[in-house]
Formats: sequence, structure tokens, C-alpha cells
Amino acid sequence: MISISVENLVKKFDENVALNGVTFRIEPGEIFFLLGPSGCGKTTLLRNIAGFYIPDSGRILFGEDDVTRLPPHKRNTGMMFQSYALWPHLTVAQNVGFGLVERKIPRAEITGRVASALESVKMAPYAARRIAQLSGGQQQRVALARALVIRPRALLLDEPLSNLDAKLRLEMRIEIRRVCKEYGLTAIYVTHDQKEALSISDRMAILDGGRIAQIGGPQAVYRRPQSKTVADFIGETNFIEGKILESQPGSARVETPLGVFDGIVSDPGWQPKPGESATLSVRPECWRIETARPTRNAAAGRIGESIYLGEVAQYQFDTPAASLKILELNPDLARRPQDRELYATADPDDVVILRK
Amino acid sequence: MSRPISHVVFALTALFFLFFFALPIGETLSGAFRQPGGGFTPAYLVEVFRNPIYLEGLWNSVQMAVFSTALTLAIALPLAFLTDRFLFPAKNLFSALILVPMILPPFVGAIGVKQILGQEGALNALLASLGLENPAHPIDWLGASRLGGVVVMNALHLYPILYLNLVAALANVDPAMEEAAENLGCTGLRKFRKITLPLIMPGLFAGGTIVFIWAFTELGVPLMFDYQRVTSVQIFSGLKDIGGNPFPFALVAVMLVSTVVLYALSKMLFGRASHAMMAKATSQGGPRAIAPLPAWACTAFFACVTFLAVLPHIGVVLVAFSRDWYGTILPDGWTLDHFRAALGHDLTLPSIQNSLKYASLATLVDLVLGVGIAYVVTRTRLPGRELLDAMAMLPLAVPGLVLAFGYLAMTQPGKLFAFMNPAIDPLMILVIAYSVRRLPYVVRSAAAGFQQTSVTLEEAAQNLGCPPFRALRKITLPLIAANLMAGGLLAFSFAMLEVSDSLILAQKQQDFPITKAIYELYQLLGDGRFIASALGVWAMGFLGVTILGASVILGRKLGAIFRV
Repeated sequence: MISISVENLVKKFDENVALNGVTFRIEPGEIFFLLGPSGCGKTTLLRNIAGFYIPDSGRILFGEDDVTRLPPHKRNTGMMFQSYALWPHLTVAQNVGFGLVERKIPRAEITGRVASALESVKMAPYAARRIAQLSGGQQQRVALARALVIRPRALLLDEPLSNLDAKLRLEMRIEIRRVCKEYGLTAIYVTHDQKEALSISDRMAILDGGRIAQIGGPQAVYRRPQSKTVADFIGETNFIEGKILESQPGSARVETPLGVFDGIVSDPGWQPKPGESATLSVRPECWRIETARPTRNAAAGRIGESIYLGEVAQYQFDTPAASLKILELNPDLARRPQDRELYATADPDDVVILRK
Repeated sequence: MSRPISHVVFALTALFFLFFFALPIGETLSGAFRQPGGGFTPAYLVEVFRNPIYLEGLWNSVQMAVFSTALTLAIALPLAFLTDRFLFPAKNLFSALILVPMILPPFVGAIGVKQILGQEGALNALLASLGLENPAHPIDWLGASRLGGVVVMNALHLYPILYLNLVAALANVDPAMEEAAENLGCTGLRKFRKITLPLIMPGLFAGGTIVFIWAFTELGVPLMFDYQRVTSVQIFSGLKDIGGNPFPFALVAVMLVSTVVLYALSKMLFGRASHAMMAKATSQGGPRAIAPLPAWACTAFFACVTFLAVLPHIGVVLVAFSRDWYGTILPDGWTLDHFRAALGHDLTLPSIQNSLKYASLATLVDLVLGVGIAYVVTRTRLPGRELLDAMAMLPLAVPGLVLAFGYLAMTQPGKLFAFMNPAIDPLMILVIAYSVRRLPYVVRSAAAGFQQTSVTLEEAAQNLGCPPFRALRKITLPLIAANLMAGGLLAFSFAMLEVSDSLILAQKQQDFPITKAIYELYQLLGDGRFIASALGVWAMGFLGVTILGASVILGRKLGAIFRV
């Protein structure tokens, strides 16, 4: 178990700056996610950590070792590639045993470790198969076993589930988390799927344009996004423009075309001043719809289009100033008449005030 | 491969090209301008253009190249089109046989042609026996036009190169392009000329260029037809007194410049636009079944071309087995004596050994260099890698004779590479000469392999602790083994058939490769041609197996190897 530190990493491709001064530290045994829209630099960052790219400046530390310029084969990381990169000319067992052969482990031990690695991903019966004879999900398990069997210092996963169907993806998510925790691995996981990140990460970094936009646990990132980019990328949200009326440390009151809202200031580095422009972010599921006007944080309007999805309903809530997206759990559409004025309200704790 | 190793590979291959490609060309060129006492003179070059014999030779060479290319195109284009569009009986058989014409040791084929088309040959005998010709005044099919004979031989020998390129190019044309033309009312030949032809131009140009250069600098065939008035033969004849005579050098310089000029000219005229296919094919193309009559017509056309193309082979085989063959349709009697005599001749066994030695060493050099170059070109971002790529293709564009001549000049006593002097031991310089000429085939096939094999497969190995060089060896090389084998087989086959370097650089009898042995045997009085044919049959059988192997392994991709 090691920590991984990245300090001020810069990587350019010709004139394109892919990483622009990235710094973070991953604690030993943590499952750390790199998340962001395509082209944000997350795969570049992972490949720097794996050693396939050498950064233009900055350092990468595994524990206390500076590995910035260490070639990939000396880093002892286990990587799972997006395409799995299983070798078609070798069998499943040969694929899994490859790293052990490279480490000159005695043959008998290799056989045992390959068998138990295949066992742990439930692939033991397929040891003698060729890669082409496996399904996508099976290939993914073999790739995981191959990365784990060498007992790597760190597990690097590059969108490992992107080629699987939805059901299998759900299953493998849990599997990967179980295996990581069982082996006590420090893992870095690249994905653009926020559900994946929220469900199995300990912490995550959201990248945007080669910089880190925010680092934090799933709840912190989802409930307390510190910028519009993060709020927009993770989950759905309603943005409402407004002006600060008054502020205390950590909270503020904002005047908007929909009404006055109390909320939380999530960015610790920002103390808003009265009169300053701000953006509110309220998640669709944070709204409640009331028939009587609530005492605060209320917007008056009518229900427009509604989509019934079974466990939830999705409403378009039309106010004179803007249209809000609202989710209601266990909905009863009959109780939601469309012809009279209603009120949408959110707890101050669910209203995040962001710098415009 | 790690960066330092890539740099080393780059540097070594660049150095190899500098010494064994640029330097020999430079030697040849400078020889054309050097005065006896040293110093620059354009006099020899001027003299080449003043001397009507040299001028005629040059003009004949140009004609030889133009007509050969035109005839090759006339044969290859219909064949390629029929293959691409239609299903017909025995199609697979003819596709497999397509490379057979190429496995003819060039001037051995001429023996066969003479035997069949000569004044006392099989065709005249056939015509006479049918009463269509007066046996007392047989038609001189070959003598009537030596140029014509050479052109026909070249075309029948070279059409597979163009054919393979055209088939590959036609397969890449999105059927929707032609459907769109038809939809707008453009059909038939007009559609072919306005839509299909422009789209396959890159393939046509690529194959056509190789055929053109090959024909322009061809030495073996005109030599066999005793066609003295072409530049290549004039250079070859001028060799006998290389020490003093600067004219071969001047002629080679003229030939090199002409090649470059003609290449540039044709590129300007035909090779300019390469239309990338933008959309993905929307409808599945592929050949379709046609009515029996036209289908059999296609088969007949193929059979006819293939028969003509292998006529020299048939001639050679018959000659090799015949007791005597003069003025009759078929040989008078059959015998194995020539095979015995050929194998018994003290030139033969050493020459087979030599050829195998030279060709396999050259193939080995090609594989090492080819994999290195292809790796640097496809897998690294080293500056100048495009230059390396272009350099590796250049040997296709430079006449074999120019290089052979340069090698001879740069190994003369007193020069940097005098230790490789072929008069002492031609092994090193011949292996280098063979490998430089065949390198493009190996580079192309290796590069194709690298491009089809994902880099992540190698990265995964590195990630698991495999050093980069070993990752290349354990993962990628096994995966592209088929490409390397195919490229290697072609390099080997063409090295076995190599003419220019062999005739010029192998100077002592014990060093002769098989092509030069055949040439020497042919010149023996009496049964020389029979013995030469017997040796040629042996070589053909051997190469037939090799090329068939290559085409089975590479399949349709074979065409990609013959591209500039």
C-alpha cells in the first residue's frame, strides 16, 4: 500500500497543454477517481502515472520514490486498459502469468498465483482459452486478474467498463471495489461515467481543461460543488443567476428573479460581498413542491411538461422568470394539477451558491 | 522500444542509407564529371548527348518504358476490373496464379520466348504445319521489332504489380460513389472514366511508377533479345573497361536524372490528386454473379492472359526437357540430360549455394532494418521519421543499374569501402546491394503490421514489467509474424532473381549467383540454352513455392507491398 503524489504536473503535446499544473495526493489504499469530460486530460494524467508519458515538468511520487522519469516497466503498477490489451496470441493463463514470468518467479509459484487470480475473478474454468473465445465481460475479468496477479504497488484503470453493457457494468463496479479493498490496493480509476465514480470511489478529482476543478469524496463533490463546471458535470442541476444580498462565513442570501434564496457558499476560498453576482445551483431532487407558500426559498410557478418514470417523475416547473427541472420520488401525478399556482422550495442546505 | 533505442535505430538506418544508398549514387554521378587528372568536367555528359548512338539508346529506353507501361496497363486494368466486379469460374485459381509471371528469372524467359516465337520456333512450325505459312520464308516475329519483343516480355512479366495495386484500389472505392453517378444518369464507360478512374488513380500511379522504372532500367530482357541500342545495355557493355572509360558513368547519371524527371513528370500529370474516401461504404460492394456466357468470357480472358504470361515458362520448361528443338512444334525428344549437365557443371552448385547465401543474408538484413525503420516510422514521434520512411521507399525509384554501378565504384581500390571490393570477395557488397533494393517490400509489410497492431498491447506488457525492447519481441513481433514472413519471402525471391547487381558485382566464377550462372551457361556454345533452361526451371520451381506461400499468407494485402 503506497500513497501517490502528483506535484505541479505539466504535459504539452506540441502547442496543446494537456495538463496544466496538476497537484494532488492519494492516500494509501484509496480508490481515487479521475473524472471529467473527454479531452480534459484524465487519460493523459493516468498515462503519466503509468510512465507512458514523461511530463514536461512536475513530479510523481510513489510513497517516497520519485518515479517521474522511471520507465513504465520498472514502476510495478498494474494497469487495466480501456481496450483490455489482452494478447491474442497467448491463452488466458499465459496472459495472466505474463507479468510473473517477467519477474522471474518460479514456475510452480506462477501456476498457483495465476490459478488463484483467475479464481478471484471467477475465470478459473477458462484458463486454457484463447482471448478471442471470450465475451467482453470475461475479457474484462482476465484483464483485471492480469493487473492484480503481479501484486502491483498501484492499480491503474483506464475506463475499464466502457465497453460493457449496463447490467454487466453494474456488476463489475462492485467487483472492482471488492477486489481493491480485499488486496488493499491504491487505485486510480479514469472514467467519464459519474455514476461509476459516485458509487465506488473514496475520493475523486474532477479535471477540466488540464486543471483540477475539485477534489473530494462523492458526497462532497455532489452536494457541495465548488464551481459551475463541477456542478454541471456531476449530476443534473438548475442554475439560477442572482445578486448577493448579505453573507456570513459559509452562507449567504441571494436575490434572484425567482425570489430570495438562502444557501451555502461551498468554495472555502470565496467570501461573497453584497452586490456581487452569483449563481445558485439546486439539484432537481432537492426541490419540493408545495401548495401553500413556504416562508423562505420559494419560487411560484406552474407544472408544465411532466414525464412519469415509475419511481420518480420529472417535472418542468415554469416560473415567470425561468423554467426549473424538478424530480419527485414516489410521484402521484393526480395530486399535481397543472392549472393552479404551486410553490417550489429547497432547504438552504441544498442550495449551493457559486461564483458566477 | 525506448526512446534511446529508437534514436540508435534511427541513426544506424540513416547511416546505412547514407553509405549504401546516397554514397553509391553520388559515386556514380561524380564519376560522370571527373577529369582523368581530377577536377570537374561536363564534357562526358555533353558527349553523351552528342553521340547519336547514346542518344538513340536513351530514346529507345524511354520508348521501352512508355510502351511497356502502356501495355502493362492495357493488360492489368481490365483484369483488375473484372476481378473486382464479377464472379466467374476458376477465379480463385487465376488469383493464386497471378504472381507466377513474376517468378521468371528474366532472361531465362527470353530463352523460352525465342524458342516459341523465334524464326525456327514452335509458332512458325505450327503455322507451317497448318499450311498458313511458307516454311521456306518463316516470319521473324522477334526480329521484326526487337523493341516490340522487349515490350511484350516486360508487360507479361510486370503486369501483376499493377494488377495487385489496381485490385486493392478498386476494393477501396465506395460502391455508393458509382451508384450516385448512375443515379444522376452517368453509366457505363463514361462512369468509369469520370468516377472510377479518378478514384483509383493513386493505386494506378503507384503500380504504374514501379512498372515504368522497372522497364526503363531493365537489363536482362533487352540483353537476351540482343537489343544493344538501349541505355541499360550500353552501360553494361561499357563496363568491360571501367577503369578508363567514363561514359558508363555519364550514361548512368543521365539514366538517374531521366528517371527522376520522368517520375516527377508523371507524378505531376497523374499522381497529383489523391482523393481520400470520405464516407464509410454505405452499401456492401463485392463481386456479383453474372450470366454463364459473360462469366466464361471473363475466365477465357484471364486464361488467355495467363497463358501468354506463362508462355515463356512453358518454353523454358520444354527446352529444359528436350533432346533437341529446332523448327518443330514440340521438341524432338525428351531427356533429363540437361538437368544432369546443369547440376554437373562446375558453375552450378556453387552458384546455387552463393545465391542462397546472398539472398538469405540480404533477407536477414532487410528484416532487421525493415522492422527497425517501420517501428520508428509508425510507433515513435521522432523528428525526421517521415524522411526515413521516404528514404526506405527510394530504392524502388532508383534503377538497379545505377546502384550496382555505384557499389562497384565505391569499392574500387583507394576508396573508403575498398575492403568490400567485389573482385576480392563480393559477399558483403552483394548482400548489401540485394538488401537495399528489396528493403521497401519489408518496410511496407512490417509497417502495415505495426499499424494493424494496437500499441496498447505492447504498453500492457511494459506495465507488467517487460522492458520495451522485450515487449516488442514477445508481443508485437509474434503478432505481425505473418506480415514479416510475407515481406521476407518477397525480398528473398527477388534477391534470388536479381540481375543488375549480380551481373556487375559478381566478377569471379566461384562468386557467381544463380542469375549470372544462368547468363554464363546460356552463352556456352552448343547446348548452353538447354542447360541454362534446366537451371532456370529449378529456380522457377523454388521461387514459385516461395511466392505462393507469400500470397497465401498475405492474401489481398499483397498489393500494398508494391507501392511507392
